[in-house]
Amino acid sequence: MKMIVEPSCKNFSYLSYCDGVILPLEGYAVESVCYYTIEEIEAICLEKNCQVFVKVNRNFFPEEMDSLRVVLKRLDSCGVHGVFFYDLAVLQIKREEHLSLSLVWNQTHMVNNYRTCDYYFDKGVSYALLGKEITLEEIIEIIQKSKICCMVEVVSLPSVAYSKRKLVTHYYQDLGESGSHELKVKEKITGDFYDVVEDDFGTCFYFDKITNGTTVLKDLMDAGCEYIVLREYGVPSFWELVMDTKKYLDGGCVSKEYIKKYQKLGDSTNFFFKKTIYKVK
Amino acid sequence: MRKIELLSPAGDLERLKVTLLYGADAVYIGGEQYSLRANANNFSIEEIREGCSFAHQLGKKVHLTLNIVFHNEDMDGVWEYIQDVVDAGIDAFIVSDPFIISYIKKKHPQVEVHLSTQNSTSNYEAIHFFEEEGVNRVVLARELSKKQIEEIIEKVSCDIEVFIHGAMCTCFSGRCALSNYVTNRDANRGGCAQVCRFSFENSDKKDFTFATKDMNMASYISDLIAMGVRSLKVEGRMRSLYYLAVVIGTYRAIIDDVYHHSLTDEKLKIYQERLDRVANRETSSHFFMKEADYTDQYYSGRSEVSNQDYLGQVISYDKIQKRLTFYERNYFEEGDTIELFTPGGEHLEFVVSNLYHEKEGEVTVARHPDDIYSLFLDTTIEIPEYSMLKIIKRH
Repeated sequence: MKMIVEPSCKNFSYLSYCDGVILPLEGYAVESVCYYTIEEIEAICLEKNCQVFVKVNRNFFPEEMDSLRVVLKRLDSCGVHGVFFYDLAVLQIKREEHLSLSLVWNQTHMVNNYRTCDYYFDKGVSYALLGKEITLEEIIEIIQKSKICCMVEVVSLPSVAYSKRKLVTHYYQDLGESGSHELKVKEKITGDFYDVVEDDFGTCFYFDKITNGTTVLKDLMDAGCEYIVLREYGVPSFWELVMDTKKYLDGGCVSKEYIKKYQKLGDSTNFFFKKTIYKVK
Repeated sequence: MRKIELLSPAGDLERLKVTLLYGADAVYIGGEQYSLRANANNFSIEEIREGCSFAHQLGKKVHLTLNIVFHNEDMDGVWEYIQDVVDAGIDAFIVSDPFIISYIKKKHPQVEVHLSTQNSTSNYEAIHFFEEEGVNRVVLARELSKKQIEEIIEKVSCDIEVFIHGAMCTCFSGRCALSNYVTNRDANRGGCAQVCRFSFENSDKKDFTFATKDMNMASYISDLIAMGVRSLKVEGRMRSLYYLAVVIGTYRAIIDDVYHHSLTDEKLKIYQERLDRVANRETSSHFFMKEADYTDQYYSGRSEVSNQDYLGQVISYDKIQKRLTFYERNYFEEGDTIELFTPGGEHLEFVVSNLYHEKEGEVTVARHPDDIYSLFLDTTIEIPEYSMLKIIKRH
C-alpha cells in the first residue's frame, strides 16, 4: 500500500518517506493551502524520485477551456503520475487530445460506489480517491469489487463543501468591516468548529477535527487498497506522522505503539464507522 | 421555433395536476427511492402512472428525478425500479450518476436522460462528455453568468435547462457535505438538512450565517428565450399548492407575453409583485448578470416571512346560484377585498359577501382552515377546480 501526501508548504525534505506527493496547480485547484505553478511542477517532475500527482480539481467555466487544454498538455508532457480532477472537462479534453495522462477521479463527495468507479475506469480513468462520507465497509467493498485503483484519504482536516461565493469577504462587507480571508466558526447545536477559508475562486469549508484513520490502515492494507492519502493542513507534527506511518506500513501494520502514539490525533474517524442517514420521516 | 419549456416541481399527485393546469409544460417528480428529496411525499409507482397519464392527456411531460449520488447498496434494486417507472410512462430521467446514465441509455433508449444540476456542470467540454454518453439535456450549474450560458449553448448540441426561480444552494450542488458533518444526514442521497441556512458563531461570538437569497429570473425570461435555453426550471418539490399555482401561473403569463411580444414593463411589474407576495425570502438573479456578492446572502440572520395571503382553494362554482365553494386556508372576513385567480390565467378582484360555512350556515368570518365555505360571486368567467383565493385588502 503506497502513501502519498499533500504538504501544506513547499518543503520536500521528507518526501523520501513517501511514495508520492500531491501538488495543487495554481489557478486550477481548490481545497488546498499551498499551490504550485506549472513551471514549478515541471521542475519537480524532473527532480523528484517519487510519484507526482497534480490537483486540477476546480469547477471550470467556458472561458477557461483553452487554458485548461494547454495546461493539461503541459502536464502530459512533463510526465506527472496522475491528475486529480473534479470537472468532467478534464476527462473530455484528455480524450479529445489523446493525452496519456493518468487521471484520478476526485469528485469529493460523489466517489461512493464501485460500479461508477468501474464506469470511469472504462472511460480511461486510472484512479479514484474515494469519498470521505462513506463507511469503511463501503470503502472495502469498492476496493475489492472495482477495477479502478483506489485511494483513501486517511489523515486530514476534511474539506466538506466548496462555494463559488466569496463568503468571508462578503461577510465582512456586510458588517462594514475588513478582515482576513479565513474564519473559524462554531456550529451552535453540535458545538463543532469549521474553518471557512476563501481563495481566488471561492470558499472552502473544512471540518475542524482531524480525521484519524491510523486505526483503519491495516483493514485497508488487508483489503488490497493501493494508496492512502495524508494531507498536512491542520495536522500537527505531520512529517513525524508520515515517517512513522511509512514504518508502520513497511512493518505490515502490526505495531501497537504506532496506534497508541497516534491516538493523539483525536478520536474522529469521520464516517469510517458512522453511516449517514437520509430519510428522517 | 420550439417554444421554451416551463418545468415545474411537483411533490405529490395533486401538485402535479395543479401545476400542469396552471401552465407548466412539464413537471419533475421524485419517486419513493433515489431522489434528492427523500423527505418529500414523493410518488408511488401507481401515482407515477396516474401522473403520467394525466400529463400526457394534456400533451405535457413528466420527468423523474433519479439523482442521488449512489452508494454500493443503492444499486440493489435500481434496475427493477427503472423498468417500473419506464413502464409507468415517464418521459425523462434526471440523473447525476454517469453509470446510471449509461445503463438507461442502453436499456431504455426511448427515454430521455437529463443530467442533474447536482453535477454542477459549468462548461461545454463537460457537456461534450455527457453528449457522447447520450444525454439529451443538461441542467446547468447555478453559478453561471448570462455570457457563459450563451457560450455553452453556442457550442453544444444537447438541450440546456436552467433554474429560474426558488431556493439556491450556497455551495456548488453536489460539492457540499455540510449536512453530513453537522447532522449526519446525507446531502447527496436526499437528506440535505440545509445547513447553509443554520446559524454559526464566529470567534467574537457574532452570528455567522451564509444563507442564500432565493432566485427570481422573471426580468430575464425574454433573454433566456432569445439565448436558446430549452427549459426553465422552478425549484421546490416541497412547496405548497398555492405557491406553485402563483409561481407557475405567473411564469406562464410572462413566457406567453414574450412570445406574443406583449410583455410591457407595467405587466412585468404586476407579475413581479405576484411572485414577491409568495416569496418568503428576498430574491436575486445571483450570478446571471454579475458575480454574486454580499447582497445575495443573509449574513447576520433574517426572519422568514410567514405568508397568509392564501385564503382558499376552489372546489366548484355554481353559475346559476352564483356561489363559489372552497376549502378555507387562512382567516378572512366579509368586507375583505380578495382576488380569485384561475388555472387559465384569469384574475378577478371582489369584496367578500354572503359567506356560508358548510355546517354553521351564515357566518361573517372564515376561520377554520380546511373547512368548506361558500360565498356569493357574480361573474361569467370560467372558474374550474383548483382556482385560488388570495387576500388583497382587509376591510
